[in-house]
Amino acid sequence: MRRRRNRNRKRIDISPRYFLLGLTGLCIVLMLASLFAGGIFAPVKEFTNTFVQPMQKGVNTIGRWVQSKTEAFQNYDTLLKENEDLKNQLETCQKQISSYQQDSYELERLQALYDLDTIYSDYKKTAARVISKDTGGWFDVFYVDKGTDAGIKEGCNVLYGNGLCGIVTEVGTDYAKIRSIIDDTSNVNGMVLPSESICNIEGSVNNYNNGYLVAENIDKDADINIGDQVVTSYVSSKYLSGLNIGYITKIEEDSNNLTKTAYITPACDFSKIQEVLVILETKKTVSE
Amino acid sequence: MRRVITLGILIIICFVLQSALFPFIEIAGATPNLLLIMTVSFGLMRGRKEGMLVGFFCGLFYDLYFGFAIGPFMIIYMIIGYCNGFFHRLYLVEDVLLPIIIIVLDDFIFNFLTFVIFFVMRNRLSFGLYMKDIILPEMIYTAILTMIVFKFFVFVNKRLKRAEKGSEG
Repeated sequence: MRRRRNRNRKRIDISPRYFLLGLTGLCIVLMLASLFAGGIFAPVKEFTNTFVQPMQKGVNTIGRWVQSKTEAFQNYDTLLKENEDLKNQLETCQKQISSYQQDSYELERLQALYDLDTIYSDYKKTAARVISKDTGGWFDVFYVDKGTDAGIKEGCNVLYGNGLCGIVTEVGTDYAKIRSIIDDTSNVNGMVLPSESICNIEGSVNNYNNGYLVAENIDKDADINIGDQVVTSYVSSKYLSGLNIGYITKIEEDSNNLTKTAYITPACDFSKIQEVLVILETKKTVSE
Repeated sequence: MRRVITLGILIIICFVLQSALFPFIEIAGATPNLLLIMTVSFGLMRGRKEGMLVGFFCGLFYDLYFGFAIGPFMIIYMIIGYCNGFFHRLYLVEDVLLPIIIIVLDDFIFNFLTFVIFFVMRNRLSFGLYMKDIILPEMIYTAILTMIVFKFFVFVNKRLKRAEKGSEG
């Protein structure tokens, strides 16, 4: 008994200070290792994923249920008001319909043009469900429930709604990690459509909270207008060309008098992503 | 041993809840930081060493899933757990106010460090905006959740203590 107590005391006597130093050192070593030899932690991730993921899926269903209930509850209060509003809207809409019918002929012609434009209708895609999401407000990273088994590779582009949503940054046998284009570290090479001017679209928490993405480094002389479509450009090294990103809502001249900045309303709503489409093809890159 | 297993399970549960359930119940874009509550609670109830270890593993999980490298969040969580150990002496079982004050401070420090490490380094300096949009809502939400969860952690700790005493005597 006495010996045992002694041993216990000895174990506790390692000063927490040195313990902290040791662990900090370990962290730094791990950090360097994962930064410079990224692949070596893949097995660890795969392992933790195999037992955490089923739990996440289960909890997810609870989450969806809770969400639907709270929404139903909130809706009840707003329904009456909404009904009133909708009736008013209906009236104005009916008036508008007649004028739109004229526009529709024009639309048909334009649609034929647009069909030429939508080159991504023939990519092979797979649908996947979102299972977990980074919860801090800082980043916009989420996981989906399909991986290499479904043919997903690192660098696959991800669509949601009717536009580009993000890119696969990491993939396991049955999960994939996706970084959305509004993430603060995301950078997409884009192109404003009719004028084909190249721009650089940076994600930013701040700007997205205000409802737009920012396209920078547009040539000052480029002929861009409000309402122009922005797509991924053909020179982008990671994104397939021609994927819809959004529409320009505001244009500003930069103080350097050489470039312009455009504010883009994204084509998809990032706040409630539940199912996404992953394009199975990746951009061909030239390896030297 | 019993303690190690219990804490391990608790950390996994916290992580799963935080990553899979909380995105559905976010308010104003903010979700509570349950892993931080766990780290702080055990730092406070058990002292520096355990706070540090709990923080270490919470950070490990976070980094494995959402970090771009393994390490940065581990260090942040660990240091917060360690520092909270210093308040261990002031801690009384019935006191709820102290943990809440500490968690609010810690959440601020946690987010401030995140801001410094990941944002200032990339020359994104508008702290005021980030404070208003991200840090403040999270602080409030986390504080509210602490009131509920902390009681549960106190209960778990009590049971563990009793079990340990029983096995020694």
